[in-house]
Amino acid sequence: MRVLLVEDDPDLAEDVARALTAAGFVVDRSGNGEDAWFQGDVEDYALVILDLGLPGLDGLTVLKRWRSAGRTMPVLILTARGDWTEKVEGIEAGADDYMAKPFAVGELIARARALVRRAAGHATATLKIGELAIDTARMTASIGGQQTQLSQLEYRLLNFLGHEQDRVVSAGEIAEHLYGASDGQDTNAVEAIVTRLRRKLGSRAIETRRGLGYLLTGQIE
Amino acid sequence: MKRSSLRLRLLLGAAIAVFLALALAWVGISLLIHQHIETREAAQLRSVAERVVAGLTLDAAGKPMIDPAPSDAAFQAIAGGTYWQAIGPGGSAQSPSLWDQSLPEAAASSDDWTTATVPGPFGKQLTMVSRRIQPDRRARDVIVRVAADDSEMRDALREFDAELALSLAFLWVVLSLAAYFQVSLGLRPLDRLRRELDRLRRSPAARLSDNHPAEILPLTEAINAMAAARESDLARARRRAADLAHSLKTPLAVVAAQSRRARDEGATSAAEGIDRAVTAVGAALEAELARSRAAAARGSGGESNPSEVADGLISVIERTEKGEQIAFSADLASNLRLAVDSSDLAEMLGALIENASRHARRHVAVSGDLEDGAIVLRVEDDGPGMEDAAITRAMERGVRIDETGGGHGFGLAIVRDLAEATEGEFRLGRSQLGGLSAELRWQSD
Repeated sequence: MRVLLVEDDPDLAEDVARALTAAGFVVDRSGNGEDAWFQGDVEDYALVILDLGLPGLDGLTVLKRWRSAGRTMPVLILTARGDWTEKVEGIEAGADDYMAKPFAVGELIARARALVRRAAGHATATLKIGELAIDTARMTASIGGQQTQLSQLEYRLLNFLGHEQDRVVSAGEIAEHLYGASDGQDTNAVEAIVTRLRRKLGSRAIETRRGLGYLLTGQIE
Repeated sequence: MKRSSLRLRLLLGAAIAVFLALALAWVGISLLIHQHIETREAAQLRSVAERVVAGLTLDAAGKPMIDPAPSDAAFQAIAGGTYWQAIGPGGSAQSPSLWDQSLPEAAASSDDWTTATVPGPFGKQLTMVSRRIQPDRRARDVIVRVAADDSEMRDALREFDAELALSLAFLWVVLSLAAYFQVSLGLRPLDRLRRELDRLRRSPAARLSDNHPAEILPLTEAINAMAAARESDLARARRRAADLAHSLKTPLAVVAAQSRRARDEGATSAAEGIDRAVTAVGAALEAELARSRAAAARGSGGESNPSEVADGLISVIERTEKGEQIAFSADLASNLRLAVDSSDLAEMLGALIENASRHARRHVAVSGDLEDGAIVLRVEDDGPGMEDAAITRAMERGVRIDETGGGHGFGLAIVRDLAEATEGEFRLGRSQLGGLSAELRWQSD
């Protein structure tokens, strides 16, 4: 599995590359933004580890260029500032995960493995309900052609409703699916997830049947 | 009103100047009136004296005789208040009113009428005209004196002086009041300036308006230039803090990576020592960063949309290992605006949402609303919550709330410091969801 490591500090890059190699990755290294953008654009990587503070082109710009060019490989960003605004900017620019410096290299390897597994582990399969398409490989959904990122829980709830097409599913049933054993409190959490899904997919995509539960219609407003 | 007040200084100046001018006017007017009245009195006495002179003859013995003598009633009654006397070389003639008394000798009996104020008979002050004349060719001098009691006139003049003083005092009060209104009107632009400066103190992004009077405008322009310099200083301080963090954190990450290599090579205890040191330095760095952030946030102003900030943060925290398992709800009005910089709000809400998601069982709720003129943001979870005693302890300065949470232990302390720096309140309590409720509150103006 090829990994692109973009880090301008040679010592840190050396140590991280060594650890990645030991973990079974094939590592390409880049020390500045321009080169990194070019490499990421023309090569296929299973994962990119991208430092945000780079000479030349900064990491956030590199990431945005890849995404707008349709490059979908998972990207893990390394931030030195470590503040929330930078994390939000990173995720909004299309990063899949972030780590703040200084980090434990062991944790970085674990996160890298998880990202690669998530992206490559599933066979590509698309579930279609009305105007809604659920991409089970990337854990994303699109409605009317509009792509939306989903959180883990949102994806699992949507996927569950998708597999129960044309059936009204009660909040308790959903909670049981999401959390295993369930109590009355969990329906609040289910309601919160449905609310967020509706904000992403439109209010008509999931209908509420009063007293019964939820029905996935996949309709556009 | 303070001693060094500009208003007091102007008012005192005006009051004193007006007082001096009016006092001078009083003295001047009084002097003129006295002179005028006395001249008229003397003229009247002179015309009586001319009549005495007109009837004046000397008998053989040189005793003056007046025929006809002035017949006014005032000359007939004893001590009647008006007197004449003619003194010749052989005796004197005088009005019956003088009885057996005599008019005092004037300072110099010249050949023309002289006027003097003299102490007269019967204990009265008199105005007297007198002159020396020669009624016949034998050149024998006769001194003619006519006098009148002027105490009534003097009383009237004194009364006039007092009344004049009273009306001038009234005028002084009126003019001082006018000066007060003038000063108030003149200083009103300064009040507006003070209000604008107050706003500038709270928010460095604010500026003084440019519609001040021409005399104040150079001052406001200078202040605006200073405010712009201060704002850019603040921005530079922030950038420097971020740069410092960046320059220290990467080497620290290198050291952390070295410890892993040391561990791989069998130097386990050395690696553990390095790890502990890296953790400690990292925590100290975060604390210093948080402190400089709070200092920069003090009065830094700015504006943020809490709904957008919360959505962004949730999208990040949803990706963390713990956050993946949590259902987040965000119930914030999208038109809510807060006078706090976006990145400062993100640090506060981020720490609170992350903390909540670490302790929640299933659900974290973020809400924001306008309550009693205050913007209230709440982060609640359905976790075990905290005992009241633990909440009190947690809010004490320098206490790490969660000793198990790695480097995130001082998260709530950061929130508290930033909330204070942005003139907000931070409170912990019990949530209706069952767990902890963290509340941020800013009075909106």
